Amino acid sequence: MYKLLLCWRYLLTRYLALASIISVMLGVATLIVVNSVMAGFSTKLKERLHGLISDMVIESPNMEGIPEIQAKIERIRNDEFLGSKIEAMDPTLEVLALMQYRIQGETFTKYVKVVAVDPTQRSKIGGFAEHLLNPENRLHPSFNLTPEAQERYIYNHWEPPILQPSPPPHVPGEKPPPDPPPSVPFVPRGIILGNALASYRNPNATPVTPKEERDVYVLKPGDDIWIMTVSGQKLSPVVARFAVCDYFKSEMSEYDANYVFAPIDYVQQLRTMENRGTSIQIKLNDYRDAPEVKAKLKAMFPEPLYYVSTWEDKQGPLLGAIAVERGLLNVLLFLIICVAGFGILAIFAMIVSEKTRDIGILKALGASNGGVMKIFLGYGVLLGIVGAGLGTILGLVITWNINDIEIWLSKLTGHEVFPRDIYYFSTIPTDIQPMSVLLVNLGAVGIAVLASIFPAMRAAMLHPVRALRYE
Amino acid sequence: MCDATPLLTANNVHKAYGKSAEKVQVLSGLDLEVNAGEFVSIVGASGSGKTTLLHLLGTLDRPDQGTIQLDGQRIDNLPSERRDALRNGTFGFIFQFYHLLPELSTLDNVLMPQMIAHSVLGWLSRRKEVRRRGHELLEKVGLSHRLKHRPSELSGGEMQRAAIARALINRPRVLLADEPTGNLDSSTGQEIFGLLRDLNRHEGLTIIMVTHNLELAGDTDRMVRLVAGRVERATTEICDY
Repeated sequence: MYKLLLCWRYLLTRYLALASIISVMLGVATLIVVNSVMAGFSTKLKERLHGLISDMVIESPNMEGIPEIQAKIERIRNDEFLGSKIEAMDPTLEVLALMQYRIQGETFTKYVKVVAVDPTQRSKIGGFAEHLLNPENRLHPSFNLTPEAQERYIYNHWEPPILQPSPPPHVPGEKPPPDPPPSVPFVPRGIILGNALASYRNPNATPVTPKEERDVYVLKPGDDIWIMTVSGQKLSPVVARFAVCDYFKSEMSEYDANYVFAPIDYVQQLRTMENRGTSIQIKLNDYRDAPEVKAKLKAMFPEPLYYVSTWEDKQGPLLGAIAVERGLLNVLLFLIICVAGFGILAIFAMIVSEKTRDIGILKALGASNGGVMKIFLGYGVLLGIVGAGLGTILGLVITWNINDIEIWLSKLTGHEVFPRDIYYFSTIPTDIQPMSVLLVNLGAVGIAVLASIFPAMRAAMLHPVRALRYE
Repeated sequence: MCDATPLLTANNVHKAYGKSAEKVQVLSGLDLEVNAGEFVSIVGASGSGKTTLLHLLGTLDRPDQGTIQLDGQRIDNLPSERRDALRNGTFGFIFQFYHLLPELSTLDNVLMPQMIAHSVLGWLSRRKEVRRRGHELLEKVGLSHRLKHRPSELSGGEMQRAAIARALINRPRVLLADEPTGNLDSSTGQEIFGLLRDLNRHEGLTIIMVTHNLELAGDTDRMVRLVAGRVERATTEICDY
């Protein structure tokens, strides 16, 4: 009984204990915030990555691609097992290309990846339509130019009419002159550019700048683009002209800065690869079936002519890197709590020496060594629990309000704390995982107990007579 | 000499402090018998081993050589749990500097030996009864108006009264008082001594008191003088209990 009473009284009356509580609290709060933000980043990044690439893909390393691609898709769909597991498939033709455009009379060239797709099919796979900027395209994705874009294209290509000599007067009996050329101007096929290819970040943007004003577009819908790539049959260049019809903004810089989407039928013709594609994108009804579907597809499309992989296989190194990063960060942060643990150790050692006389009194009154040890162990547990509890509350509050805090800090310091152009996230993503909060709490209490063992043992071993004489 | 069985006996007790090179021999072959109901005072020069003797008798320390017996049973070599129990139930300690726990109220300080004696459940089941006894004892020592005060808010005399109440809460058989009046002015010291005297007379409590005050020592049943780690000789001996 006296142990509980004394633990409680020591907690309430020792200001030194407050220092221990604060050190545990800060450690726990930091761990929770950092873990939540890291988990938020990794979840969001995974979501993004998975959002952009299909669940599964069959690829051909062959330059000529997968022949009879529609027939192969039909074959998969007609398979009893696969047909029931697969929700959608889309033939895709991907190729590296050079993109050329002119701005104010200057020519610019960029190296891009052309992803030729069927917009309707592709949007069923996911990771396409929802990232298009034109709201119309999000509902019904297509490569059609809007009327405004068409107008801009025509305006860009307007040339003063060449003065023709007036036609000779019609001589009756002779053939009439040919009709003039059609007045409907030529408009090329549309192309969707990665957002970062067509724009740059507004250098004056602040965290409070509205979304629409954060990007400055140099290529507007209707501007023309030249794509130069290689034929699918032999190494000969092919060139085609497109007009910008929309932007693709996934907020994944790798995609936004490198990808252009073009209509598959047109690119197939251009590269003389009719009814061929480099990959079949597959969306599953339930991603948990992936291993079985993968095995089945592998049997159907054997290596080395085809490669079947899941999105995790494709992003393996990146996902692995995230996991390693998080593990490493947790180890480092755990060291912070260990530092707090040593703080507790030092503070406890002080409290024990401050309480030496009281320990002597308790022993004179019949308290056992174990009892005295339990007072200080219990005190350690109590400090750990109170510190961890307060730290959890603090950590959760910070995590919930991290974006407001970030904006406030940015305003206060004049520096952008969370530079959005690096991460392509508009807010700091967080994901509070109850399990990790629990583990952090247990760890903190455990360390508090570990740190109190040594001083508690010292207290227990104090000789009562020496303790009583202690002044 | 009285022929009754002594309550507490020290036989040829030796005790030294410090490491071999700077060893200080405090007690060397001390013999002492204390009978039940006796009020014994121990006097002697500083460093003559009075307090050490008290600690040895109260099982706070072990003699290097010799034995301590309670009712003819050796208690100096008992395992520490048994000695803890003896200190809790059989002996009551009073110190010169009161040694109250500063975090607790007067009442909680008095109840501390009871809390040590019982587990949480045991304490909760007999809390009322124990608190009543605590109140009674504090009333007896004249502190019923100071129940909720912290030791720092009490005067020296009041603190010593609280310490006496604490020493009595577990109904000990022997009260070991280490200079209980040493830190008090003479009139307060007299009051405290009177309290002890009454406890001895009216309740038959055995008291062993270390003191420098020869006047007070002279008012006890027997005065034991320590010289060079031994009992010099008993100056007075009264067997009227």
